[in-house]
Amino acid sequence: MNILYVLIPLALLLLGGAVWAFFWAVGSGQFDDLDTPAVRVVMDDDTAPEDDTSA
Amino acid sequence: MAMPPSDCFHCALPVPPSNEFQVEINGELWPVCCPGCKAVAELIRDSGMSGYYTMRDAPQPGVGRPTDDQAEWRVFDRDDMLAAFAEIGDGNATATIYVGNMYCAACSWLIESTLAKTAGVRSANVNPITHRLSVSWRPDATGLGRILATLADLGYEPQPLAPESAMRPEVAEQRAALKRLLVASLGMMQVMMFAIGLYAGDYQGMSPDMQRFLRLVSFLVTTPVVFYSGRPFFAGAWRGVVSRRPGMDLPVAIAIAAAYTASVYATLTNGPAVWFDSVVMFVFFLTLGRFLEMRARHRSIDRSTALSTVLPNTVTRIQDGAQRIVAAAHMLPGDHLLIRPGESIPADGVIVDGETTVDEALLTGEARPRQKASADKVVAGSINLDGVIEMRVETVGSDTALGTISRLSERARYARPAFVQLADRIASYIVVAILLIAAAVAVYWYQVAPERAFVITLSVLVVTCPCALALATPAAFAAAGARLAGLRLLVTNGNAIEVLSRATRVLFDKTGTLTRGTPVITSTRVMDPSFDEVTCRQLAAALETVSTHPIASAFALQANPSVASSQRVAIGEGVEGTIDRRRWRLGRRHFVAPAVAEEPAVPDAATRVYLGVDDRLVACFTLADEIRPDAAETLQRLQSLGLSVGMVSGDNAASVRQLAKTLAIDDFHSGRAPEQKLDIIRAAQESGEIVVMVGDGINDAPVLAGADASIAPSHGALLAQTSADVVMLGESLQPLLAGLLTARQTMRIVRQNLAWAIAYNATALPLAALGYVPPWAAAIGMSASSLVVVLNALRLSRF
Repeated sequence: MNILYVLIPLALLLLGGAVWAFFWAVGSGQFDDLDTPAVRVVMDDDTAPEDDTSA
Repeated sequence: MAMPPSDCFHCALPVPPSNEFQVEINGELWPVCCPGCKAVAELIRDSGMSGYYTMRDAPQPGVGRPTDDQAEWRVFDRDDMLAAFAEIGDGNATATIYVGNMYCAACSWLIESTLAKTAGVRSANVNPITHRLSVSWRPDATGLGRILATLADLGYEPQPLAPESAMRPEVAEQRAALKRLLVASLGMMQVMMFAIGLYAGDYQGMSPDMQRFLRLVSFLVTTPVVFYSGRPFFAGAWRGVVSRRPGMDLPVAIAIAAAYTASVYATLTNGPAVWFDSVVMFVFFLTLGRFLEMRARHRSIDRSTALSTVLPNTVTRIQDGAQRIVAAAHMLPGDHLLIRPGESIPADGVIVDGETTVDEALLTGEARPRQKASADKVVAGSINLDGVIEMRVETVGSDTALGTISRLSERARYARPAFVQLADRIASYIVVAILLIAAAVAVYWYQVAPERAFVITLSVLVVTCPCALALATPAAFAAAGARLAGLRLLVTNGNAIEVLSRATRVLFDKTGTLTRGTPVITSTRVMDPSFDEVTCRQLAAALETVSTHPIASAFALQANPSVASSQRVAIGEGVEGTIDRRRWRLGRRHFVAPAVAEEPAVPDAATRVYLGVDDRLVACFTLADEIRPDAAETLQRLQSLGLSVGMVSGDNAASVRQLAKTLAIDDFHSGRAPEQKLDIIRAAQESGEIVVMVGDGINDAPVLAGADASIAPSHGALLAQTSADVVMLGESLQPLLAGLLTARQTMRIVRQNLAWAIAYNATALPLAALGYVPPWAAAIGMSASSLVVVLNALRLSRF
């Protein structure tokens, strides 16, 4: 069980990283619009990109 | 989207019979009504975005009509315009643009995709709820004018907004709330995990070091949850104490503070138990509730910038005989401005040169334009129809008549929330009662079993938390708001739903509400047998091509074989022009044929327009404001729901009476100024009626605010929308009915929720007071009862 003394602080570090990343994302405006993304997934361009076969 | 072949594929207007314009989409040929629609449809197709046609909610007549005036936008490419409307940093310019004429999510997709393919544009985001486009681009690669022209090409009406209005307080509030919610939810998950370990340790045994370690990490994670996520509760509680009106926040803050302090103390002194899990769970669910409530509140159209979107962004200033286009924000009293036909007047002032007719319908509700000449006053927000004028600015911005009306309606809105005040008063009694009960429980248990006193008091505070009670109404309102948005109704004031459910009387404005607000030709009488009706209309349309008068739009034809030359507009009289080397005139009778004896004036709602050649009358057109096709049915169904309907209008008696007869409205008032309309509403309210006002136009704003609830059709003046409690999108009146039914259903759910919350608190309180509920169970019970309330409310969005 002593491994918990390492794993839990590690988990807290990751948690801190996740919170920092989220704060950055909110600060850069990525969450300002919570309405459009719900419908955006069903919208596609109806022509295929032209240059994806050559590679 | 399948459509009858007689309608234009792009704009859904009827296609004229002799029309050969077609567009090929997905291998099929579709008819379009005009070369403009063909061009727009091909632009959409060629950018690979035909998906727009399958995704849009409904084809909107008249939307997506191309403008041919590109020069108008070029001025925005200038550096001083860029400085006035965009923020520049890191080699990027960012601007917020209000997109008029936008109807659905497909529009936002079309705009974003089209701009993304424009060279130099780095990002484009449209919020379909607020109709705002946020665009950033490299100023060296493209210009603001180019972007605006692209939007105009697609048929939208772009309006750049000044940068200071771009970052709105709602955005800041939502960002802060999201961060709080995330900290609370992640913190809760972590602490619950540690708590499971601690509880398992209670049963199976655990080394004291490990127990201490788990308590310590729980403390570490709980601290930011309490002080960061929970801060609004402490702030709210403090405000309640200072203002001597304790709210729901006070017991919440006391419970959080007490449980947290006791847990920290127990952690440091190796006490018997910690309650970090209860604390984080409590904070998380409360934060979630607040977040949902905030989102519902923000689903409203922005008010602060409404005024500026009615007015033009740029004005032509005349200085030392030279004309220069400047941003409207730089306009000062005393400036001389040049106003061309079709432009709206940006400020209150006096005409110094020229004569014209202006459409003041926005301010006075009078559909017929007024003639103005030198020394006459003009007001901001009215539209200059047919003459070029020079005006001297007297007042700008919020000092204008338009600004005053808007302030007036603001005040009327703030003077209303009696319902809210009542709810707050009841809430503070409940809170005081909870605190007294908790204190009594603490005193009792301190005498009976001092070691259990703290735990039981904490349970009582948590279990009686009026969360379900507090969530019952906002959760149902949020769900109803989402449902109503699906029905094309936007609720800007939560109170409106409660009021709508009790409404007994619906009053309608006439112009633009029961009618379309634009004249159409209702009949054509041909007076000269050598012409037929179709020819007469074509001749009239050819003459009217120079006029920007609203009447001219009634004559407009998509394809016209007749072409007029050397046309001239006679202000307030009509137009004349040469067709096939003959002099044709269209307009008032004495203008068309001065020699012919005057017909006796008919007291009639309709406007008559005469067509004549060489002083001889050829035809007479009767124009009238067209009634909305679903008006009669909507009124009938409102009556079958038990509501009485009425009509109040600023228009003349004859036209109001005629419309009332057509729609079978018994109760109608004509020729009423806004104050008189307000009196009619007051009188009805005094006799105990709950009045809903449906109207558009800025002159209605105080009237809308004075009614118990107000609904504005979205095509009306923007200001009226923002003072209205509910904004109705689209051309149909039907959402009104659906909205009233939803409101009634919402209040049913609110009552169910309140009954549940009270029943839960009534059962849980005695159990907790008797010591049968540990704090963690209290937190779960509180959360579960809140969840039941929220899920019940969500049923509203699933019909």
